[in-house]
Amino acid sequence: MDTQIIKQSLFATSVVALFTLSAPALADGVGAGTLIENTATATYEDGEGPQTVDSNTVVVRVDELIDVTVTSLDSGPIGVQSGEAVLTYELTNQGNGPEAYELTANPAVAGNDFDTTVVNIAVDTNGNGTYDPGVDEILTAPETTQLLDADEVLRVFVIVTVPTGVTDGRASDVELLAEAVTGTGAPGTVFAGRGVDGGDAIVGATGADDSAVGTLIVGITSVDLTKSVSVTDPFGGTNAVPGSVATFTIVANVAGSGSVDDLVVTDAIPEGTTYVDGTLTLDSVDLTDASGDDAGEASDTDGISVDLGTVAGGTVHSITFDVTVD
Amino acid sequence: MNNLKKMVAALLVFSSTALPISAHAQSQSPVSLSGDVMAVETTVDAQGNESTQLVEPNVIVPGDRLVFGTDYANDGTEPVDNFVVTNPLPSAVRLAPDADAELTVSVDGGDSWGTLSTLSITNEDGTTRTAAHADVTHVRWTLASIAPGESGRLEYPAIIR
Repeated sequence: MDTQIIKQSLFATSVVALFTLSAPALADGVGAGTLIENTATATYEDGEGPQTVDSNTVVVRVDELIDVTVTSLDSGPIGVQSGEAVLTYELTNQGNGPEAYELTANPAVAGNDFDTTVVNIAVDTNGNGTYDPGVDEILTAPETTQLLDADEVLRVFVIVTVPTGVTDGRASDVELLAEAVTGTGAPGTVFAGRGVDGGDAIVGATGADDSAVGTLIVGITSVDLTKSVSVTDPFGGTNAVPGSVATFTIVANVAGSGSVDDLVVTDAIPEGTTYVDGTLTLDSVDLTDASGDDAGEASDTDGISVDLGTVAGGTVHSITFDVTVD
Repeated sequence: MNNLKKMVAALLVFSSTALPISAHAQSQSPVSLSGDVMAVETTVDAQGNESTQLVEPNVIVPGDRLVFGTDYANDGTEPVDNFVVTNPLPSAVRLAPDADAELTVSVDGGDSWGTLSTLSITNEDGTTRTAAHADVTHVRWTLASIAPGESGRLEYPAIIR
């Protein structure tokens, strides 16, 4: 039972005051270890004129409140494929004194379509918000942060491996738990003598632990090209004879939950046919034959080429061009 | 040279803490002041009724309530007049919102006084706003006279910032 009321002589408490004047004022709550000192002064008149008298100074020390919050900094599910993936979290010391936290990453959250394997937990040493291998410090077991000051924020990365053989669209959660090193428990739990300057530490509203979940979603994207042809002969039929016009249609079907970049569809002009100038279309919109002015270019010698750029899964594009049979 | 520095440092400590003088004055005074502080503990019974007790402030954290008290007594043989007790609020606490509305307070370090509702704060841009409990820097009580042998108690409630 340590009592923190300190009733001392004026001489002693005024010395203490010299060391507490520079205590920083925190935005949220006074810091652990802060001494609250109260002295009343009375003035009065008696037969000998005005007099002044001070009370004793009462001193109480603010104990350490242990609180922590963890949030996921990923704005939504992270698209992944087999291999390494990085989830980003933020840990905030919501208490009023310095505290370190032990971190645990749980890749086997209930409801997962599949489970990842945790490789490392790292802190954003250079503060740029991106995991930089070789730069950002990898915590070694038991993964414990440095002492964080009151209100200090630490960004944490969890690096996981996505197993092979996962199917498109499946999701997996990874939970990051932070527990105060001093201790956790129901709000109000007291750890005697474990606070700043030998004061007590008391568990705050968060229970001195918190967790947050980040989500991975498998985004495997496939591109399927289907080519078809329809022929119109000069006599109104569909025979391929000299002078017949053949219309080729190439359908690009991009499937999956991810997207593909720099998708370019090319096709050669078949031997024995000649490209009909100005017949290249993309999704029923005419493209010029010249290069550089739009997504397409076409010529009899080089064939056709259409640059679709980045295409999201679930998108279908249709390209057509005409040739005449020589 | 080193010894000289130490001596100077020692002299500085003594000169900056030359408070035994007021302690000496206190010993001569017919009036005594005795300060204390208690924490307010709120408990909820099985029926959900809240009750509060004053307890020793063994564990206190931001947001907790404290009651600072000062007992006064006139131990002399003559009455004393114009008895004014001034109590600067420790910077780590704010006056609790349920403090007596008639309490005389200052929000400017003790330069001007009044009940809280009559005081205002000048913002940095020159505009003014009504002073709030958190702005209070001092509280003060005034008693016209204390008879010989008379004693009493003064209290204010505070919340740790």
